[in-house]
Amino acid sequence: MNSLEEKINRARQEWQALNNGKTPIIYIGAATCGRAAGALEVLAAVRETLKQHRLRAHIVPVGCIGPCYLEPLMDVKRPGYPRICYGSVTPAKARRILESFLLEDDPLPELAVGHFGRDGDPALEGIPRFFDLPMLKPQVRVVLQNCGFIDPENIDHYLANDGYQGLLKAFSLGPEAVIEEVGEAGLRGRGGAGFPTARKWRICRQAPGEVKYLICNVSEGDPGAFMNRSLIEGDPHCVLEGMLIAAYAIGASHGYIYINSDYHLAIARLKKAKEQMEAYGLLGENILGSGFDFDLTIKEGAGAFVCGEETALIGSIEGRRGMPRSRPPFPAVSGLFGKPTVINNVETLGTLPNILRNGASWYRQFGVKGNYGTKTFSLVGSIRRGGLIEVPLGIKLRQIIFDIGGGSWKKFKGVQTGGPSGGCLSEEFLDLPVEYEAMAAAGSIMGSGGMIVLDEDTCPVDLALYFLHFTQKESCGKCVPCRVGTWHMVTILEKITRGQAVAEDLSQLQILAETVKRASLCGLGQTAPNPVLTTLRYFRSEYLAHIKEKFCAAAVCRELVEYSIDPEKCNGCQQCLEVCPTAAIKGARAEVHQIDQFRCIKCKACYEVCRYHPLAANAIVISSGRGVA
Amino acid sequence: MREKDATVTVIIDNQSYRVPRGYTILQAAERFDIYIPTLCSHKDLSPFGGCRLCIVEVEGMRNFPTACTTPVEEGMIIRTHTAQVQSVRKEILQLFLSEHTSSCLICDEREECKRYLGTIRKAGVTTGCRYCPKDGQCELQEVVEKLGIQEIEYPIYYRNLRVEKEDPFYDRDYNLCILCGRCVRMCQEVRLANVLAFKQRGRNTIVGPAYARTHLESGCEFCGACVSVCPTGTLYEKARKWEGVAQLEQVTTCSFCGVGCQISLQIKADRVIGGLPAEDPLVNNGQLCVKGRFCIPELVNGPWRLRHPFKKFNGLEVDISWEDAITLAAEQLSRCAPDEFGLLISSNCTTEDLYIAQKFARVAMGSNQVDSPARLFYGPALNAYLALLEKSVPLAEVREAPAILCVGLDTRYGRSVVGVELRRAMHRGARVITIHPREHNLALTAHAWIQPPPGGEGEILQFFARFTAGEESASPPETNLSSETLRQLARELKQASGVVILVGSEVLHYSASPQILAVLHRLAENLGAGVLPLPAQNNFVGSLLMGTYPELLPGGFSSANEKRLKELEKVWQTEFRPLTNGWNSGNLSAGKPLKVLYLIGEALPSGEPPAEFLIFQNIYPPDSPIRPDLTLPAAAFTEADGTFVNGEGRVQRVHRAVNPPGEALPDWEILCRIARKMGVRGFDFSDVREIHREIAALVDGFQDFDQPPRQARSLTIEGKFQIAASGSFEAKPDGKKYPYLLNAAPLEHVYRGFPLSSRVEGARVIFADEVLHMNPRDARRARLQEGDPVEVTSQYFRKVWPVKFSPELNRGIVQVTVLQNELIGLNPIPVIIRKSHV
Repeated sequence: MNSLEEKINRARQEWQALNNGKTPIIYIGAATCGRAAGALEVLAAVRETLKQHRLRAHIVPVGCIGPCYLEPLMDVKRPGYPRICYGSVTPAKARRILESFLLEDDPLPELAVGHFGRDGDPALEGIPRFFDLPMLKPQVRVVLQNCGFIDPENIDHYLANDGYQGLLKAFSLGPEAVIEEVGEAGLRGRGGAGFPTARKWRICRQAPGEVKYLICNVSEGDPGAFMNRSLIEGDPHCVLEGMLIAAYAIGASHGYIYINSDYHLAIARLKKAKEQMEAYGLLGENILGSGFDFDLTIKEGAGAFVCGEETALIGSIEGRRGMPRSRPPFPAVSGLFGKPTVINNVETLGTLPNILRNGASWYRQFGVKGNYGTKTFSLVGSIRRGGLIEVPLGIKLRQIIFDIGGGSWKKFKGVQTGGPSGGCLSEEFLDLPVEYEAMAAAGSIMGSGGMIVLDEDTCPVDLALYFLHFTQKESCGKCVPCRVGTWHMVTILEKITRGQAVAEDLSQLQILAETVKRASLCGLGQTAPNPVLTTLRYFRSEYLAHIKEKFCAAAVCRELVEYSIDPEKCNGCQQCLEVCPTAAIKGARAEVHQIDQFRCIKCKACYEVCRYHPLAANAIVISSGRGVA
Repeated sequence: MREKDATVTVIIDNQSYRVPRGYTILQAAERFDIYIPTLCSHKDLSPFGGCRLCIVEVEGMRNFPTACTTPVEEGMIIRTHTAQVQSVRKEILQLFLSEHTSSCLICDEREECKRYLGTIRKAGVTTGCRYCPKDGQCELQEVVEKLGIQEIEYPIYYRNLRVEKEDPFYDRDYNLCILCGRCVRMCQEVRLANVLAFKQRGRNTIVGPAYARTHLESGCEFCGACVSVCPTGTLYEKARKWEGVAQLEQVTTCSFCGVGCQISLQIKADRVIGGLPAEDPLVNNGQLCVKGRFCIPELVNGPWRLRHPFKKFNGLEVDISWEDAITLAAEQLSRCAPDEFGLLISSNCTTEDLYIAQKFARVAMGSNQVDSPARLFYGPALNAYLALLEKSVPLAEVREAPAILCVGLDTRYGRSVVGVELRRAMHRGARVITIHPREHNLALTAHAWIQPPPGGEGEILQFFARFTAGEESASPPETNLSSETLRQLARELKQASGVVILVGSEVLHYSASPQILAVLHRLAENLGAGVLPLPAQNNFVGSLLMGTYPELLPGGFSSANEKRLKELEKVWQTEFRPLTNGWNSGNLSAGKPLKVLYLIGEALPSGEPPAEFLIFQNIYPPDSPIRPDLTLPAAAFTEADGTFVNGEGRVQRVHRAVNPPGEALPDWEILCRIARKMGVRGFDFSDVREIHREIAALVDGFQDFDQPPRQARSLTIEGKFQIAASGSFEAKPDGKKYPYLLNAAPLEHVYRGFPLSSRVEGARVIFADEVLHMNPRDARRARLQEGDPVEVTSQYFRKVWPVKFSPELNRGIVQVTVLQNELIGLNPIPVIIRKSHV
């Protein structure tokens, strides 16, 4: 243990030296979200600028700090200033910021997003405090506390920020007390179902047998969800420390991380982190002299959605087809290779170091009774400030969507939580507290954290169809309700979106949804009808409008809309004529164009070009006319 | 955990039952005849929970648990038929039917249609209107009827998949598949073959081998276990596709190899329409191989079966009555001196037939010229093989052995029952080592596959024998494995106690086989191992015990044994002194020229007729161009009573399941009638039981005909067989280059002289006989296409065979199976191969 203490001390010193040194530090948000927005190009530009001006600076690629809508993010810390964050950085912008800030001492407040210093610093005139930004202010950072601040590939950064203190605490408590502590903290499974973590552990711990397994579930497959990926990319060690704590508590000596193989960066970081742990004596036999042995396998899954279901996940690790089996026996009794197995979500595990380090009562200060702690969400869809957020449980949906997210782009219509397994909640649920039971009562689920905001441009029928189509395609095919039932639901929904449905179809859809929910084997099938059931409940009028009036309020359902040209706006640029694949648009240059409805195939090409082309005037209107009832 | 109580009390539908702990709800219900509909559960398979029809209500459990996966617990309150459960079941069943062609299930006219086929013209094949081969046996039909589904509220969407007919033996129409997963579990859990799996996702989910391979390519053994458990018409035997439901079943012993599986013949209208494995733990344990499962109906129901006796008359074949046929035979036989007569009888015949045949030769003809041409199959290795048979152990020992050594054994098609035992042994931790020159099915699963060149098995066995005798410095031969690995394997064999050595057929036909088997014998002695030779002929041991060889008398005694001769003379009430002139089936012209050659269940030689008068007694006319003088129709093994003795020495019953076609008679009956006609005493048997009783008096191990004890007994054979000298075949350097090594073997899958591949369509595909197997890379280099005729030239012969690509062969090695009377003396033999332009 001495050697670890030495390493911690050294890491702390280095961390101090880095932060208080004379060399500027440039942080680049280089997680997948940042890279997609161009962080690597920014990084190259930073390097080049430094080289050109013969400047010395530490470049620290960090994980996602949250406001993905501002990516790529670049933060600069130079002596005399706190760290300042710049958003939507392009290579040119990065060059300008560096030149101005490092050479001329001007932090360019007009480009800055926020600073990390104290309030009222005169040098920071015009820059708000980062954590006082409307998006950040209601948030609490527990799991994500290191994301965006440390180099995820450097274990010393993690150690310097109280890393592995939770594990040391766990060792000093003993396994039983660890379970006790986690139970006391009221931690519930963050994968979505909310099963009390400590209870699951206890079942597994008490199950007979020498060999037990711990699995970390990173099979994140919901459309629009990226919390788990971001956490691993930003702070892999906190998940791994959590795994050590959990394994210690249940008595497992081998752990698996089941991760989608397309999470390349996360896998690379996990592998690197694993090597570092081995080098620091945090894996292997007799870890830190505690007598606890633990080894780790990173298992890359092929990315089937159903492999997030625990029994299918176990099958996949065992080398079989990812296909769920009936429970009981539950994995905690008979799981991987027939041995007692605990499967925890990434976020559940990532929370553990904090709970252990700070104690259960500290953790209980967040959240509300029965739903303690925080939850990360990926806030996406039609939202002004999308990104990775962490909020205390019990927060209202309104706070998340309007205070943190800044509201939808157009008029708010609803929010889909829990991905394809969740439900679509309408405006009247904006004051619903984000709690497991409350969400379930409203017909949705907490889910693993995908939160898709919908505005008036979203058609709820189309949304339900999209999710059903997804679950149908991802169904393993084992049980009939899920394989065939969801498919019939898809066809009925397709009929509705085409305006071919009759009123009876709605009741059949309802019956079908109930059957699938009741009779399916696993969670995938049992929750697949949720998007349909909730939209049927909260947006029934829109379903009826589709059926009776052939009217799609959001003008999304292709068969029910018409394309027309606003004669007031059209400037006759002829751009739409160029892209129309069926030559449905006619019109001479500088004259108002017209669309031949018989030829139009509603491909949306003209709409896109008219909206975004510099010459065009956004004159194409997609509208759905109310038919005769 | 309260382990002390072996049973729990549960309440099912308001009634209390005591059920063994560990039962599932479904098992409990079935035990008390409470009907719970289910399509995916099967007694031999693990619970699946896929069809969702067996949902029940259990107090205190959320949702509806499936009865097949939920274990009973003390005090469980279960309701199997509440209105809610029934309505969900009906919904689920409708979902099934919406993707299953289901006119036959819910059509209004289905009752009339059964009789008048009136709606077929309207509905046709796509909707499955009575076009399903499973009509009347379909479990889905049954469930639909029980749940009373009248119509389907959902639109019907068929998958429109192509019916897969490219593989032999069974067709697959996945449009009818309900994905119950029984076939997959059967293949994976019971057969441990892992050929079938679920593929794709969502609505495209389908069953089949991975990577869109055919069953042939994916290593399928065609055991048919998947076909047996399919609840719908998805998987169906080609041969009995439209035969419908069997009326009767008859358990009997399979006649296709020496394993002696118990088989349940399916009978309809006095025809055998199929064979299913019998639930018999002793030998095959509910499994069968492709031959027993699929080959019987086509073999015994062939349209060319002999139905009447006929004789050759003025170059024509003329039907005659049995009376005339017997008279003609008796006449011809009566004018033969003992050494002018020869009788060949197949060891596929029943023990009783064999006994009567040798008695006929010895008593009626006073001749010793009786032989079973099985001796040609074993050839020079016969004596060494018999020595192994004398050490044989029961197959059950494989189930306990810590290490198993297989030599020349391929369990893919023939003997796949043994293959299943081997895979089970591997699963429980036994080490399996296989020695085989070709990439065979054990190579995939065994712990070690030692690959010698053909004929090189002896060197490996020699090394093992020397190593295990204490000579640990012995140097191992060059093989695919390193010498260190071979040493390790030898060490493992030496350390294990209770090793079993399985001997297949593919090590018996080398010129060096006598030496190889002798080394094997020595190795077995060093290890204290049991040997289990697996004879290719179902009643080879029976033929040895009955003495249908010039060298042997009934009971395995040498024909020179005076004491035995005295005993026999007393029983047979005749004087009999055997000739010893070297006559046998491999040397028909050793004695005087034959006047009459009597062939029972044996193929005709293709060359000159070997006797003045040929009597041919079989189930089919001969394939050979020679016409016999007298042809007598015999009964197949499905049409006669008797016994077979399998390779382990078990005496097992063969039952008459159907009547022989036309006027065909069992072999023993024909022989007895001829003998009586000749005025010979001692052939007044009216029943096969009487023959068995006579055998029982002479031979140990034969007791009760109707309830044979079926005990495994190793064989005791007195004396040695005369082996015809194989001549001075040796590859002499003659300046020419012979780039290939030809490994020729006699046909193995033969019934009564007819290769299965000549009578059963699927067998033609899997047992490619009389075809030159060649590595595809070699073949392409020689610019050969599959099926091209190639000329194979050695120092001793020139032959033409069509070529077949066999990737499992190593380069430079070619292989062929030929009819046994065309065997080539030296094996393996260096050859030249070129495309034939004939």
